[in-house]
Amino acid sequence: MDVTQYLEIFLDETKEHLQSLSDQFMILEQEPDNMDTINEIFRSAHTLKGMAGTMGYKRLQALTHDMENVFSEVRNNTIKVDSAMVDLLFQVLDALEEYTENIQNTTEEGTNDNEHLIKALNDYLANGGSGAPAASTPAAAPETAPAAEVTASQSADPSKEKWRDIKLGDTENAVLGEAVKQGKKCYGVSVYVQESCILKAARAFLVFKALEEIGEIIVSVPSAQDIEDERFEFDFSMIIITEADAESVKKAVLDVSEIEAAYVGEVEVKVPEAKAEVQVAQVEETAKADNSAQGGVAKQDKKPAGKPIVNRTVRVDIEKLDSLMNLVSELIIAKNSLVSTSSQEGMLTDTTFNEQIEYLESVTTNLHESVMKVRMVPIESVVQKFPKMIRDLSKKLDKKMTLYMSGEETELDRTVVDEIGDPLMHLLRNSADHGLESSQVRKERGKPEMGSIFLDAYQEGNNVIIEVRDDGNGIDVEAVKAKAIARGAITAEQAENMSDKDIIGLLFLPSFSTAKQVTDVSGRGVGLDVVKSKIESLSGEVDVRTKLGEGSTFIIRLPLTLAIIQALMVEVGGEKYAISLGSIQTLEDIDPSEIEHVQAKEVINLRGTVIPLIRLNEVLDIESTKSPDENLLVIIVKKGDKLAGLVVDELMGQQEIVIKSLGKYINKSKIISGATILGDGEIALILDTNALL
Amino acid sequence: MNEIREQYETTQFIVVKYGDEQFGVDIKYVDNIVRMQRITRVPKVQTYIKGVINLRGEVIPVLSLRLKMGLEDDTITKATRIIIIKLESGECIGVLVDEVKEVVTLENAAIEKVAYDSKDPRANFIFGVGKEKDGLISLLDISGTFAEKEA
Repeated sequence: MDVTQYLEIFLDETKEHLQSLSDQFMILEQEPDNMDTINEIFRSAHTLKGMAGTMGYKRLQALTHDMENVFSEVRNNTIKVDSAMVDLLFQVLDALEEYTENIQNTTEEGTNDNEHLIKALNDYLANGGSGAPAASTPAAAPETAPAAEVTASQSADPSKEKWRDIKLGDTENAVLGEAVKQGKKCYGVSVYVQESCILKAARAFLVFKALEEIGEIIVSVPSAQDIEDERFEFDFSMIIITEADAESVKKAVLDVSEIEAAYVGEVEVKVPEAKAEVQVAQVEETAKADNSAQGGVAKQDKKPAGKPIVNRTVRVDIEKLDSLMNLVSELIIAKNSLVSTSSQEGMLTDTTFNEQIEYLESVTTNLHESVMKVRMVPIESVVQKFPKMIRDLSKKLDKKMTLYMSGEETELDRTVVDEIGDPLMHLLRNSADHGLESSQVRKERGKPEMGSIFLDAYQEGNNVIIEVRDDGNGIDVEAVKAKAIARGAITAEQAENMSDKDIIGLLFLPSFSTAKQVTDVSGRGVGLDVVKSKIESLSGEVDVRTKLGEGSTFIIRLPLTLAIIQALMVEVGGEKYAISLGSIQTLEDIDPSEIEHVQAKEVINLRGTVIPLIRLNEVLDIESTKSPDENLLVIIVKKGDKLAGLVVDELMGQQEIVIKSLGKYINKSKIISGATILGDGEIALILDTNALL
Repeated sequence: MNEIREQYETTQFIVVKYGDEQFGVDIKYVDNIVRMQRITRVPKVQTYIKGVINLRGEVIPVLSLRLKMGLEDDTITKATRIIIIKLESGECIGVLVDEVKEVVTLENAAIEKVAYDSKDPRANFIFGVGKEKDGLISLLDISGTFAEKEA
């Protein structure tokens, strides 16, 4: 059988199972006796083994097989789980991940036999498994079960003909009636897939395909969609119209491999004038056996109870979404253009026109929101690998630590989620390595020996905040200062005048690591600056809060959306600029006499807060169109807890703008984050106020 | 045999003028030629970048080859055009030219390669000189002239 077409499904499911194994191992480490966990691991290992076997990945199969054996013994209480075993399991997991990665990259699993792991697993079996021969018993067990099933189902059992339970609607009845008139036959078909079959949906699909070749499927239970999503146990039924006879229908189904049995019977269609009604005929002389059928079903229902219900999803290539997004962008530009013409020309009187434009405006805004939502994925996919990473770090650094995560369901744009993994990993490693003290020191300081690292994600307005917090040592400002001076990054005098916050900011400079010892976990001096530049490339920002002795918090703030933002349009020196509404606090009208000077810099005192003024025309190298004695238009912008007042010439109003890149060719300055096309086709540049502060 | 064929192979160039001098741009790089339009200045960028224009909904940087080659700044006239060049990276840039003259077809034999001359900065922008009835055409080396990211 050619299995390559199932490779994608296989990889997806394998990854899911590996993740589940990783999660379960973590639980197992805490609660070595948790029977649910042990069962879950056994099931995952068994499924993995089966899938690997189907796909012909022998090494993957062998390793999971041995793991399954061990867990079979654990289940029987003949082996006890200890921490050495959990360590081994994690190694096995790493090896399995390696195989999977190889398969993903090359479709081959690689040549690493991981014999030492297999041996180690078998040692467990040999030592603990009282007389359980390593290979045979557990592996055989799942296979014997379906075998028994087969014999049972060989005898024509009407309870298996589940198609009899199919309820037909008027339309279907009409169709069937029509078919019978044309001399075609209607059959009910119930198909049973082998319980050991891994890719049930794929099998079902092949059955559907085979039947569609000889006839037409009128209705199926469960629905085709459910079957495709694998939401069925081991059987499904359908009613088909065909010209072929019952035998060939049955043969067509059974030709598909891993199909255990098929039951075909003719559906008797009665065709009264108005309403066609179907009464299910009794093909083989049987009594109605609903009750016994129920018994059979109940038995099957028990087993896969724990399986989570999968969301109805469609995989879409991100490129298609990008092009959809571009179209929405174009639509918004066109809408903006309509809005601007309608306000310019004498069309203001025409109320219906304006109403329509407003309608168009709300539709485009909603459309934009939905498309953005489609692109949103939970950060879960990125953060779920962290518990294991922290565990590994804990062993490596010989520090006790636990990771607490919250808000894994927080959603971000797909492109951001893809990029956010590395910076988060850096921060977590940083916390584990530099942040948390050694157990010894922690004890001396009266802290719990177990260090805690927190990863919290949540949405705040138009931003998503991800915090990485630890209860470790915090950042030693003096140490950073000394290091910076030693490195020549700042002079001793400069250091005197720098606030603690500025000093901590030095940590984000390239090649700055305060770890006294370079470990292979972190402390190579690449880290925080990489984190910062990565986050900034995603239009986000990083902030640190720390208290010596109590721990530090790294706060990552990311914008929810990247492509389209609400902006305030302003004019400076006759040029148009856009400022993201997200960063704007208030707009102020300031009399020039209110300007004061602090350290030769202009500031204003706004309701008790001293705010530095930034004259945008100076930053942008252009002449202001206003005379110096006119009142100043000041936009108060915020970055973290810093405020600044941007002086502009004119305000043009709020607008939804589509962010366009200036391209790689321009060595753009940090203060310009992009450009947008206005309704009249003119280009306005987007100011990044974060870079100004 | 191949050499002979190469001699007779032809390349089409768009001939543009800066003052009296003629330059040729290999037609395969030219995406479009547009009339002068409003260029939005971008502050704090390379001096030879004139700004950006809106080309069918895309934001395209426009640069002055005059400034880049160390000539006088462009004077915008009715004849001024922006040639949209598609770089090998797929990115488009606009280049201001005084005038677009014509398209010529040159046989490879009619192209004289010029050697790299570190003393003459302009020579770095040119890979050869084409001989044609109206005189000489300096052929622009697109990848050299518009190499991305340089100060």
